[in-house]
This record gives sequence, structure tokens and C-alpha cells, in this order.
Amino acid sequence: MTEPQSTAPNSSSPAMAPRILIEGFNAWYGEFHALHNIEARIAANQVTALIGPSGCGKSTLLKWLNRMNDLVPSAKAKGTLRIGDLDILAPNTDVVALRRVVGMVFQKPNPFPKSIYDNVAFGPRLHLKVSQYDLDELVEWSLRKAALWDEVKDRLRKPALSLSGGQQQRLCIARTIAIGPEVLLMDEPCSALDPASTAKIEDLIFELRANYTIVIVTHNMQQAARCSDSTLFFFQGKVVESGPTQDLFTRPKQKQTEDYVTGKYG
Amino acid sequence: MSELPKALESFNPVEPSPRTELQRRRDRWFRGLCLAIACSSVAILGLLLISIAYQGATSINSTFLSGSHDPENPEQAGMYPSIIGSLLLCLLCGAVSLPIGVAAAVYLEEFQPKNRWLRQLHGLVQLNISNLAGVPSVVYGLLGLTMFVYMFQLFGKLEKNQVSGIDFWGVQRYYQFVAADDLTVIMVPLTDRTKSTLEIQEACPAYDTDFNPIELVVWDSRTPAPSDPEVLSRTVRQGEVGAAVEIYNWYYFRVPFGPSLLAAALTLSLVILPIIVIASQEALRAVPNSLREASAGMGATRWQTVQQVTLPSALPGVLTGAILAMGRAIGEAAPIFVVLGGNIARRTGPEHLMDSCVTMPILIFAWADNPVEQYRQLAAAAIIVLVALLLVMNSVAIYLRGRT
Repeated sequence: MTEPQSTAPNSSSPAMAPRILIEGFNAWYGEFHALHNIEARIAANQVTALIGPSGCGKSTLLKWLNRMNDLVPSAKAKGTLRIGDLDILAPNTDVVALRRVVGMVFQKPNPFPKSIYDNVAFGPRLHLKVSQYDLDELVEWSLRKAALWDEVKDRLRKPALSLSGGQQQRLCIARTIAIGPEVLLMDEPCSALDPASTAKIEDLIFELRANYTIVIVTHNMQQAARCSDSTLFFFQGKVVESGPTQDLFTRPKQKQTEDYVTGKYG
Repeated sequence: MSELPKALESFNPVEPSPRTELQRRRDRWFRGLCLAIACSSVAILGLLLISIAYQGATSINSTFLSGSHDPENPEQAGMYPSIIGSLLLCLLCGAVSLPIGVAAAVYLEEFQPKNRWLRQLHGLVQLNISNLAGVPSVVYGLLGLTMFVYMFQLFGKLEKNQVSGIDFWGVQRYYQFVAADDLTVIMVPLTDRTKSTLEIQEACPAYDTDFNPIELVVWDSRTPAPSDPEVLSRTVRQGEVGAAVEIYNWYYFRVPFGPSLLAAALTLSLVILPIIVIASQEALRAVPNSLREASAGMGATRWQTVQQVTLPSALPGVLTGAILAMGRAIGEAAPIFVVLGGNIARRTGPEHLMDSCVTMPILIFAWADNPVEQYRQLAAAAIIVLVALLLVMNSVAIYLRGRT
């Protein structure tokens, strides 16, 4: 198997244990069976894309990975979801601790109506006891990681809502990595952005892969092809096909996958 | 050309039909009607303000703003105690109802329970609050009367000019004597609340008017008086009778509350609580869910989310609702009348929590009811002051809303 585009050091070591293990996973909203028997292994330090038509359950899976679905009263799930040794679904799992490990970036940029600095410092202030000096350093590090530092370093105290949509989304990424997660979940992070901002975020995702395990939901086939290492194709609550992105897009094994990635529907 | 359905055949956008002409005219009429109705409501309000200003404006002067009610001479009458009374009442009322109201709104909006029974309870509370907002305020007055003024008579009957209830803090009771030099006042602590006078026979602990302990000398008037003026100033004739006085701190607290500032403030809190809860709920509902998700996604607990994200975002809306509710509170007459009675003969604002108090609406009511024409002019003047105060409060509300 050839590794076409990847330059990151450990993006394709098959020997490596999966970072996220999904086995026999089912999810419901009330009576609606949203996900059927999902089996997947998501490798560490790789970008995994979840693709599929609307309503196929990919966002549901993402929201279970950091238990955001706890906020939805009718949501239920069964099966195995593990991150390393951590059992995500176990009732005694500390959701707060889980969400520190599994950060999430949402579809629409949702910075808090606070200053740029306070947005990034929000998480650290919740979880860490740090001095002002260390906090400043952490904020700068996070903003640099999110490729936003140069654009905002002179106006950290300005409201975050004064930034452009793309900058806001990068700010949300900075805010998420400021609490030191291992996994980043991204729910269509570029769907509300213009092409130039999208390109920047994609570059960023590609770079962040060196340090984080990234799971990204996208409706954009080109995006999945451009920035992911492996892909899971969902259809009506089931995983139809999964594998390295290159293979899935160029030599799909299933007819449905081929139709979807070539744009016949969806 | 494709075949059009029959209904569309006659349509010609270039040449308007008589029908469209009629529709246009109706549109103009309707617009005119709406304008007239809108103007008339403003005109009625304007007329009211003008007539009140016409009647009352001449009465507003410094005596009016600094004096108190004078039953004999309307020229000297003023509304100072009622301004202070209304402001303090409003402040206290806000201090009580704002935290409770916002907390209730946060529970109803942000902590919706998953448990089925709790959900039922939640729905019941919600329904009740919506209904309570429509209850006439005089009903709250009666509730306040039994709950706060009399406290269901659990702590004894409250009767006029009688010592009753249980004191907690903030009151000192003394008997006052005039010293033998006929100048100095000497205070002797009161031990038996039921006795309103004390006849002094022998030396006992005593204080001067600054509450410094002094050594009391009891002087039998058959012997010559002490010559030293210092000793004389702490000497009391044997058999001298002192009257009980009560000295209150502002935080004086007793149960039952009686017809007091605190009872009135708590009653008004009941009146405005539903308004504050509903306004705060609206404000919380307007906070986009994406912010709650973002906060939860960062590993914040629900309380942290409320405290650091949701409430700060909703604050302008919450404060707007609070100020509008306070505006309602400051204008309420009925519940105050039930709780405090209609007495307007006070020279000062309330001096402690258990003090009685005059408010602007009560004063206006009493003056407007007075057969003497000049008092009715004073009522109009007091209305101007009240409306001005309300306008200031509403402007603050609008300013706060603008900052959202």
C-alpha cells in the first residue's frame, strides 16, 4: 500500500493500536434507530473522515464520541466506544474529563461573546490552575497552533465576534486545543466558510494531525479526499465501506460508495 | 407560446385592471387607519401628561421636594418621605426578587430534568409562573398581610402601640432620665419590655447618649446636691421616673414584620417575581444553543456554563426585565395599601427595616382624594415626579437592551 500525500511521520503505521475503538455500536433518538452495529477503528495521529448523505448518522457518531448527546434527552446508545483505555459510554465515566481529552469543533463558528484572549483562556481557566504568565503563554501557543496568532496578536482584547468567519473557526480550534485534548472532533468545520477560509482550515487540519487524532464529518468529497487519511462511508445508519481515503475514492468496493463519491447522489 | 391556465389569461402587468386599482386604494386606506390609531394612542398619553403638567408643574419647588405632608397647610406640604420610601422599597424589592427570579429562570431554562416526575413538576412550576403573572396585585397584598405582616399570628397578635413579637437584632431599649443638672440625658438599659416607665431607687448600670458606660449616682433630694458639675451630670434624683425609648439600627429585625418596609418589599417581590422570571427566561432562551454546546464541549459543567457563558450573554435582557418589573413595583398602590395602610403623616423616609413607610402612589392617592383643591394640585405634581422617575428607569432599561 502506498501512502500518497502524507508527510506526517506516523500517519500510517498499521501496527499501531487504534486510538478509538468502535464495536457493535448502536444509537437511537427516541424510537429512531440512528446507527446500526458500527464497527470501526480510528488510528492515532490520522485524519479520519466520516462521509455520507444527510441523516446517515455520521454526526451522531461524532457526538457520542464526547458524549455531547448527553444534552439530547431522547438519545440512547449501546455497544463499545473506547478511547485508549477509557470507556466512553460507561455511566461512571467523567464527562468533564472525557471532553478534555476529546475536543470538539462545531459546524458554525461559535466563539463566546468575549474577547479573543478570554475565548482561548476559557477552557484552561475551567480546568487548570495556572498563573497569568503561564496562561498568556498557553493562549499564544494555542493561537499559533491554530495559525491565528499573527492575525490577532495585536488585538487579543477585542471581541471574538469582530473576527471573520474563518478566523472565528480557527479561534474555536485554538480554544479547543488549549485544554490539551488528544482527539479533535470536527463537525463539518468548513461548511459555513468561504473557499479561502476553508483552504486555511484544511491546511491547519493537515498540520494538527501530527499531534492529534482527528475525526472530521464532511459533506464535501473533495475535502475528505484532500485532507483525510482514511474514510468511513455511512449510509442509512450503517458503515458501508471504510478504508484508506485514497483506495475508497479511487477503487471503491461497493456500488453505493462509488455512486456517492462520484457525485451521483447525496 | 405555452398555453396558460384560464385564470392567468387576463393578467396584463402593463395595464392595471380596475381591480388592482381598488386593491391599491384599500392598501392606502388601511395604512392611514393604522397611522390614525397609532397616533391616537400617543395623543391620549400626551393629553394625560399635558393635563397633569398643567395642574401640577407650578407646585414643584424645593419645598415640595424636601418637605413632608402637612395636613393644615398645602403650601408647606412636600413628598420627600415618599420619594425616599419608594426608592428604598424598590431597591429592597429588587434585591430580594432579582436573585430568586433569575435563579428560578435558570432552573426552568437550563436545568430541564430528564426524570419523568421532575419533568411534570417542572411543567407545573412553569404553568404556575405564567398564571401568577396575571394575578391582581391586591391579592398579593392580602397574601403579604397574612404572611409577612402577621405571620399567621404564629408569634403573638400584633396590635397597635403594644410591644409584641420576637426581636432578633438591631434594637436597643432604654429608659431615659434627665440628670440632676437638668441638661444631660442618662440611659438605663430596659430589661422588662412590658414596663414602659421605670422609677429609679438605687444605682444601676447606665450610659450616656453616646452609649459610654457611666457611674450612676442616685441622689436623695433631702441631702444637699453634689457640687461638682461632672458628678451632677451623672446624678439622678431618687424616685425620678424615666420613659422607655427604643433605638433602632437600620438592620433591626423582628418577627412578625408588622406593617413595615420589609413586609411591603417582600409583598412587592411576590408581585414582580413572575415578571422577572418570565423576562429572564426569554433572555436565556435567546442565547444561541451553539454557545452552550461550545461550553459543554470544552468540558464545562452545567453550572460553569450557566455562570460563565449563558448568564453573561443573557444579562442585558435579564436586567431590562428587572428594571421594567421595578418600574411596576414603584407604581403599585394596592398591595402597599393593604400591607402598610394609608397613613401619609410621616416626616422622614423609613429609618429601619421594620419602620413604616410612605410611598409615592399612596401619597398621590391620599392627596387626590383630599377635598381641598390645592392638595389635588399637589397630587398632580407628585405624579410628575413619579412619571419622571419611571422614565429614568425605563431609559436605563432601553440603554441596557441596546448593549446586547
